Amino acid sequence: METITIKDTIRQVLESILNHNNFEMHDELTAKDVDGWDSLSHMMIITKIEEAFNIKFKLRDLNKLKNMGSLVSVIQSKL
Amino acid sequence: MILLVSSIIFYAYADYRFLILLVLSIIINYYLGLKIRKAEKEVLQRRFLYLGLIFNIGLLIYFKYFNFFYESFVKVLNVFSADLSYNSLQILLPLGISFFTFQTLGYLIDVYNEEIEPSKNLLEFSLFVSYFPKILSGPIERASKMMPQIKEKRNFSYDVFVDGLRQILWGLFAKVVIAENCADFVDLIFDNYTDYSGSVLLIGATFYAIQLYADFSGYSNMAIGVSKLFGIQLMRNFATPFFSKNISDFWRKWHISLTTWMLDYVFTPLSFTLRKYQKTGLIISIVFTFVLVGFWHGANWTFVFYGLLHGIYFIPLVYYGKLNSSKTTAENNLIPSFKNSIKMVSLFMIIVLTDVFFRVDTVFLGFQYLQGIFSKSLFYSPEIIMGNTTYITFALVLFFLFIEWINKEKSHDFDIRNYKLVVRWTCYTFVFVLTLIFGKTSETFIYFQF
Repeated sequence: METITIKDTIRQVLESILNHNNFEMHDELTAKDVDGWDSLSHMMIITKIEEAFNIKFKLRDLNKLKNMGSLVSVIQSKL
Repeated sequence: MILLVSSIIFYAYADYRFLILLVLSIIINYYLGLKIRKAEKEVLQRRFLYLGLIFNIGLLIYFKYFNFFYESFVKVLNVFSADLSYNSLQILLPLGISFFTFQTLGYLIDVYNEEIEPSKNLLEFSLFVSYFPKILSGPIERASKMMPQIKEKRNFSYDVFVDGLRQILWGLFAKVVIAENCADFVDLIFDNYTDYSGSVLLIGATFYAIQLYADFSGYSNMAIGVSKLFGIQLMRNFATPFFSKNISDFWRKWHISLTTWMLDYVFTPLSFTLRKYQKTGLIISIVFTFVLVGFWHGANWTFVFYGLLHGIYFIPLVYYGKLNSSKTTAENNLIPSFKNSIKMVSLFMIIVLTDVFFRVDTVFLGFQYLQGIFSKSLFYSPEIIMGNTTYITFALVLFFLFIEWINKEKSHDFDIRNYKLVVRWTCYTFVFVLTLIFGKTSETFIYFQF
């Protein structure tokens, strides 16, 4: 799947859970930069992403997520 | 190397009997770290990790929780009329065990998760575990932050050194002036709580919340400050938690090294496993994590209950989806808005009332105390106890909170480096003189028992 399509799906997931779109989808984006994306909403976002791409993360994958770029590449490796 | 030797001497001086235990823990964890990385198959890696978990948690359970489980077990049997008597074992609690064990646990998990490389130098690893400013009472450090600092050659920095001194002064003030003066009231009121009216009990509980904070944040500031003198930056442990607007804000700022530890190693894996249950899974994870936070403090139902209450306070936040409001209260303003003040004060009162369970010996006594507060006598004007000292302590506490308030967005509570020279030195002298006049010596810190 194209990086752009993946990013677009992630954006939709974020918007649906956080109820806003005050963020820009670039590779260096981290959860800290996005209002409302904290340790507690994180797991709901992860679950939604799993559903959207029909993949399953491992806990180890989760620990490696540092920013949007790494999220996209982890998803890509699972498709 | 010098730091390592002095750390060992420091620990031995505090309690030489447990030195063997500390050394054993260091060596075993060091080798397990290497073994996990060397093992090629994931199954084998996991086996070494489990071995480490069992060893570390086993130590904790044996030294800290054995009697608790043993007594509870016998009590349960007695309910079924087994009629057993029990003799608690005389197990001494090794100093700092909850702190250094959590550090080594985190280390092994990080190695397993390939977050960090295992240490290949036993001396460096020993210093990571036993570094003296933090071994007795934290902060609970992470290998990823601390190991690189141990490895690198440290250069002397005047600014860091002075900032360390500043932090030590503030920590000392918090501990010997604020915590100790509050303690006198707290002890008097809690020990004779049936003699006082509800209003006095409420003041007692408030002083206790402040004592607990001043005691532990004072210790943390001193530990971090001392460490700065040696050029090692430890993590921040408190970020003016009383100025939070909701409970999740509060826990982001209270005992940060423990809560982030719990977040990474308990909450995240747990909520990950329960993620398909959505909000219910989230709530179960939060409540469980907080019960564990409570239980970490000691083998007593009061701590479990304290944790349980805090976990429960999160439930409305999960349902209203308002978990995140990390913006500082009254950012860049001296005066908070009316709405924020209400939030801040109500949260503070919740903390004050919950902290009662932290102080008392049994959950039942905690409820008795709360019942004492919420009686008709809450509206009586409080009896004067201890005369003028009351007003002095009150003024000191206000001064303490005021300084913390103006520094709430700084790197620590007494980060006044950007003020003019005259202002800075007036502050130093003032705090120093206050410490000399009102300071009281104390044998221990509340958190040394944990």
